[in-house]
Amino acid sequence: MSLFSDLYNTLAKFFRNGEEQQGDASKSVATNRLKLVLMQDRTNLTPRILEQMRSELIDLLSRYVELDKELLDLNFEQEGDQVALMLSIPVIRAKDEEEIDAAIKEHEEMLKVAAQKVEAEEAEDETTEEGTENESDLKENSDSESETAEQSVESEVSETSELMDEEDKAEAEKVDAIAKELNDVPKIIKKKEKKQVSAPEEMNVSSNNNPFKSEDKVEASSEN
Amino acid sequence: MTGRVIVITSGKGGVGKTTTSANIGTALAKSGYKVVLIDTDLGLRNLDLLLGLENRIVYTIVDVIEERCKLKQALVKDKKNPNLQLLAAAQTRDKTAVNAEQLKEICDILKEDNDFVLVDCPAGIEQGFQNAVAGASEAIVVTTPEMSAIRDADRIIGLLNTKEEITSVKLLLNRVRPNLIKSNEMMSVDDVVGILEIPLVGIIPEDTGIITSTNKGEPIVNDENALAGKAYRNVAERILGEEVPFLDLDEPKGFMAKLRNAISKLKVKV
Repeated sequence: MSLFSDLYNTLAKFFRNGEEQQGDASKSVATNRLKLVLMQDRTNLTPRILEQMRSELIDLLSRYVELDKELLDLNFEQEGDQVALMLSIPVIRAKDEEEIDAAIKEHEEMLKVAAQKVEAEEAEDETTEEGTENESDLKENSDSESETAEQSVESEVSETSELMDEEDKAEAEKVDAIAKELNDVPKIIKKKEKKQVSAPEEMNVSSNNNPFKSEDKVEASSEN
Repeated sequence: MTGRVIVITSGKGGVGKTTTSANIGTALAKSGYKVVLIDTDLGLRNLDLLLGLENRIVYTIVDVIEERCKLKQALVKDKKNPNLQLLAAAQTRDKTAVNAEQLKEICDILKEDNDFVLVDCPAGIEQGFQNAVAGASEAIVVTTPEMSAIRDADRIIGLLNTKEEITSVKLLLNRVRPNLIKSNEMMSVDDVVGILEIPLVGIIPEDTGIITSTNKGEPIVNDENALAGKAYRNVAERILGEEVPFLDLDEPKGFMAKLRNAISKLKVKV
C-alpha cells in the first residue's frame, strides 16, 4: 500500500510540477502589498496616521482590558463599496471594576496634565520666539509633564484634606485613604509615560524593518 | 444618430491604451459601425503610427480648435476601412493647446454622425486626462497585472467616479501571461478584478504579434490567427452588447500539456 502511494505521489509531483513548486510567494506578496497601499490611497490614511490611531486605540482599550499590544492588528478590509476597519484585539484578561476605575481616573489626570501643558505652552509661546520642535524637546516636555502631574495631584489632595479637616474624623480618614491612592497615581503615570516615550521608538524600528519600504524606493526610482 | 463616446484611459503609461484604442476602433469599424478615433496625447501622438496613417495627416485637432481647418478636413480615413477615421493629435504642441470644453464640443459634433467616438487618453491625471474625459460618457480603463499599473488604474477609477457624465467604467486587462499566472508569479484576472471591483470588458493575452503589428502599422485585430486579435474582437462585441465568454487562456496546448493538466486536476488522496 505504501509502495503504491509513493508511486502515486511521485507521479503526481511530476505532473503537477511548476504548479506548487514556485509557491504563491511573489503573487500573494504583490496582492497584499497592493491591497494595503490602495487602502491608504483611497482613505488618505498614511502609515504614520495609522500607527497613531493604533497607539491611541491601545491606550483606550487597555483601560478596560489587558491586551497583547504586540499582536493587536489594525487593518482595512473592503466589502463591496464599503471600507471596513478591522481591529483584532488579543485580550489577555478582562480587568475588574477597581482596575478600570483606576485606569479611567489615571486617564482623566493625564488629560488634565495635557491641558495644563497646552496652557503652559501657550504662555511660553507668548514669551519666547517660535522655535522648531524637535524630538529632544518633546522628550523634555514629557519628563516635565510627569513632574507637574505629581505636583498637581499633591496640591489637589492638600486642598481637599484642608476642607475635610473641618468635618468628622472618620471622613478625614477616608480622605487619607483616597489621598494615598491618589499619591499612587502619579507613579503609574510616570511608568506609563516612560512606556509612551519608548513606544514611538519601537514603532519607528518596526517601520524601518518593513521589508517593502526600501524596495518601494528602488521600484519608484527605476520607473522614473 | 447619437453615437457613444468612450474614453480609453489608464493612468500609467505604456500599458496599451493606444494599442487598445486602435484595435477596438478597427474591430468596431470592421463590424460595419462608423468610428472616429481621437488622439488626445498632444505632443506625444502615436495612434497614427499604430494605424499606419502617419503619412496622411495634414491637419490635427489643434488646427480644428484654432480654426485653421474644418473638423471634416482633419479626419483621416483608414487605409482599409472607410468606416474608421482618425483625428490626430498635434505633435508640436502640448496639452495646454486644448481645453476640456473644446474637446467636449468636438466629441459632441462627431457623435452626431458616427456610431462610436473613441478617445485615446494620455497617461497621467492632469490636464490631458481631464480634456480626454470631458466629452465621454463611458470609460475603459486599461491596466496590466502589475502593481504599479493597478494602483494607477485605481486612482483613475476613483477620478472617473467623480465625473457625473461618465455612466460606465469598465476594465480591460492587458498583457496577461497565463503561464506566469499558473506558476503564481503574476496576479490573476480574478485578483485584479477583486481589487479594482469594476466589471471586466476584456482580457488580452501578451502576444508578440503586437510588436510586428505595430511595426507594420496594422492593428492585430486584422490578423485572424492572433490570440490577442481574437481577444480584441471579443472586446468590440462586448461593447456592442453581446455576451461573449472570455478566452480560456489557461488551456494548455499540446497533448502532453493537456494530459498533465487533466491529471493535476485529479486530487485523489491515497
